[in-house]
Amino acid sequence: MLGLAKGLAYTLKQLGKEGVTSNYPEEPVEMPDRFRGIQRFYPEKCIVCNQCAAICPTDCIQLTGKPHPDPNNKKKIIDTYDINFEICILCDLCTEVCPTEAVVMSNNFELSSYSRDELFKDMDWLHENTKNVREVNRP
Amino acid sequence: MMASLLTSAPSLLNFLIFFVLSALLLGAVLGFVTYAILAERKVLGFMQLRVGPNQYGGRFGLLQTVADVFKLLIKEDVIPAKADKPLFKIAPMIAFVPSFAVLAAIPFTDRFYFTDMGVGLLYFLSLTSITTLGILAGGWASNNKYSLLGAMRSAAQMISYEVPLVMSVIGVILFSGSLNLLNIVEAQSTVWFIVLQPLGFVIFLVAAVAELNRVPFDLPEAESELVAGYFTEYSGFRWAFFMLAEYVYIFATAALTTVLFFGGWLPPLQWVPGLGFLAYIPGPVWFVMKFSAVVFFFIWLRGTLPRVRSDQLMEFGWKVLLPLSLANIFLSAFVFELFFK
Amino acid sequence: MIRTEEMILNVGPQHPSTHGVFRVVVKIDGETIVEAKPVIGYLHRGTEKLAEDLNYTQIIPYTDRMDYLSAMTGNYVICHAVETMMGLEIPERAEYLRVMAMELGRVASHLVWFGTYLLDLGAMSPFLYAFREREMIINMINELCGARLTFNYMRVGGVKWDAPDGWVDKVKEFIPYMREQLEGYHELVSGNEIFLNRVKGVGKYDAETAVNYSLSGANLRCTGVKRDLRKDEPYSIYDRFDFDVPTETEGDAYARYLVRMEEIRQSLRILEQCVEQFPEGGEILGKVPRNIRPPEGETSVRIESPRGEIGCYIYSKKKPQPYRLKFRRPSFYNLQILPKLLEGENIANLVTILGGIDIVLGEVDG
Repeated sequence: MLGLAKGLAYTLKQLGKEGVTSNYPEEPVEMPDRFRGIQRFYPEKCIVCNQCAAICPTDCIQLTGKPHPDPNNKKKIIDTYDINFEICILCDLCTEVCPTEAVVMSNNFELSSYSRDELFKDMDWLHENTKNVREVNRP
Repeated sequence: MMASLLTSAPSLLNFLIFFVLSALLLGAVLGFVTYAILAERKVLGFMQLRVGPNQYGGRFGLLQTVADVFKLLIKEDVIPAKADKPLFKIAPMIAFVPSFAVLAAIPFTDRFYFTDMGVGLLYFLSLTSITTLGILAGGWASNNKYSLLGAMRSAAQMISYEVPLVMSVIGVILFSGSLNLLNIVEAQSTVWFIVLQPLGFVIFLVAAVAELNRVPFDLPEAESELVAGYFTEYSGFRWAFFMLAEYVYIFATAALTTVLFFGGWLPPLQWVPGLGFLAYIPGPVWFVMKFSAVVFFFIWLRGTLPRVRSDQLMEFGWKVLLPLSLANIFLSAFVFELFFK
Repeated sequence: MIRTEEMILNVGPQHPSTHGVFRVVVKIDGETIVEAKPVIGYLHRGTEKLAEDLNYTQIIPYTDRMDYLSAMTGNYVICHAVETMMGLEIPERAEYLRVMAMELGRVASHLVWFGTYLLDLGAMSPFLYAFREREMIINMINELCGARLTFNYMRVGGVKWDAPDGWVDKVKEFIPYMREQLEGYHELVSGNEIFLNRVKGVGKYDAETAVNYSLSGANLRCTGVKRDLRKDEPYSIYDRFDFDVPTETEGDAYARYLVRMEEIRQSLRILEQCVEQFPEGGEILGKVPRNIRPPEGETSVRIESPRGEIGCYIYSKKKPQPYRLKFRRPSFYNLQILPKLLEGENIANLVTILGGIDIVLGEVDG
């Protein structure tokens, strides 16, 4: 009986304490700077080195390059850049290998949608994902 | 008023008055159930450092239960293909009707009661057992193994705990010399029966929680073992009726506890000089206060305790509660003979 | 004439207390279990086979998803295996960060176990209290490595991120707070007579059986066998810390409960010493070749995860990908004793025993 009474006293004590839950959908959750959310992509920085697509453990990144409009410039520029968020596991390896920081993580994590097709994000969408972009990308 | 109505000759007007009053009580009970569910969720929420429902009806979620019930009523009525259909349909009714019928026996104040029955207590205790038939029928008719196990547990639990429940109130009957609930309350005008019958009260409370199928005795619907126990296959308004029966029983049991052990509508400690002013607080307020305390205790238990195992439950019922309640009867008889005769 | 027959009951894969998609087919006689057959594989993703086509760095996020309640130990075991093969030096600071992350993960994992176990037994509140503390740990780890559950924090040769400013102080503040809460848990649960009646003497086995079934972790230590790889085969920097290996002798569900609760306390002790000894500065990633190609040969390492011994075997052919990779997943081995324990028990004990083993289905199915 003593154990039961102790337990009852413990729960009664908690009654006056403040709750620890957050009012999530109404108030957004603040994530730390390092949080790995949906990537932001900077087409102008990309040098089409293909390292991100190579390191991706789930092969969710697809990119193609095209020749530079200036015929004297031998460098390629990015043409399409797609991330399939159906299989992306947000592991951060693509931003880690990117030599020019053309792809960085943001703090946005709300990916749910009514259709799987919406999870296929192209270059424009990833470029416009401008909110809460990570400030410090390298350790 | 009620006394004269009850003794007057039967007439159409008489019937109408009782009909309206019963409808009022029904409304009051439904209101209680609505807010008891909300209170339970809120209190549990606060105990668990959450906030509980807060979406419908303002910050306190005052319309949450209404929304839930509305959802249940418009849900598709699903009856499993292999179920025993007539039994499946009738089971929630068998479970629900006695829960309302027992309310007739409870006196709420010295003027507001529906029956002045000589065997009020017996009527209450015997009618509550019928609900188990509904649970058993529902569990059997669902044709689901979890339901069947839950229903069997419910029957076993009812048989085991009905006995100590009845035994524990015999002490009260001895002291008051009546089975009439009105007389029982009046016998407590100086001192409540919780003081004279502490052991009986504890046994009664434990057995009552077991009868209510609430934590820590919620084996028939043991969520983590039997998914949802006897109403696994129920949904929509049939499920709502089972839940309604459960909460109406909370109302009835809390009211009965108040009447039997806390002196009903009577103010406490009237023999202490200087506390006479408590009598100025009206009876219904006292009743509601004591009643709410009992309901809070049930919720509090739910917030704290784990579930008892079924075989230990039986052991506890037969090997601990029954001998204790028998001892309580003898003890009460001695005390009564020695000091109160 | 009354005829009785046995009934076959499918517990799971969709059941509130199988902790994921796990199924037990139990044959019951009344409420007594006659026979139990666990059915696993609903969450099988073929991590080991997938790993044969992946670089060593790419395997690390996959290990997060095996034991998702303490992903840090999964991270560590694969890195440790590769580092052992290549003979890499790990910087001091990285070692401390690794140990702190792993011990925080251990506390979080045991908290989840505590909460869900009590939920299995029918008590709802401890679950929410345990998650309050776990949330704090998760937030700390989130600040450290940017994820709440799938950390992907360690790299071959070190860790990815250094501790952010003030992070170590946060851990320091958390330790006394957690100790206080732990006392509260004991107040709420450990003395509760209903709880004691439900767990004492349930799912009992002796040390010999435990060893024969290759159990590890708290499931082994509850029988009195004092075995903890952090003490017996110190890896990383565990030989620098002063901590005890809690054991009990009963071998029942209650002993397992006590061992796990005591392990939280010992982890806090390790964390305390980590915070004290934490080096001021230094590298967090050692000298690692650009292409990670372990020399030809095989290696096998094992460490202590919250659930037991987690092992990693690598067969390398001096390629960036392993030729063969195998994880010794403790939940899978611990689960094997379940049919033996369930036989002859009451159906209500099923959840008590299953919960007491502490399985994570991601790890069982691999």
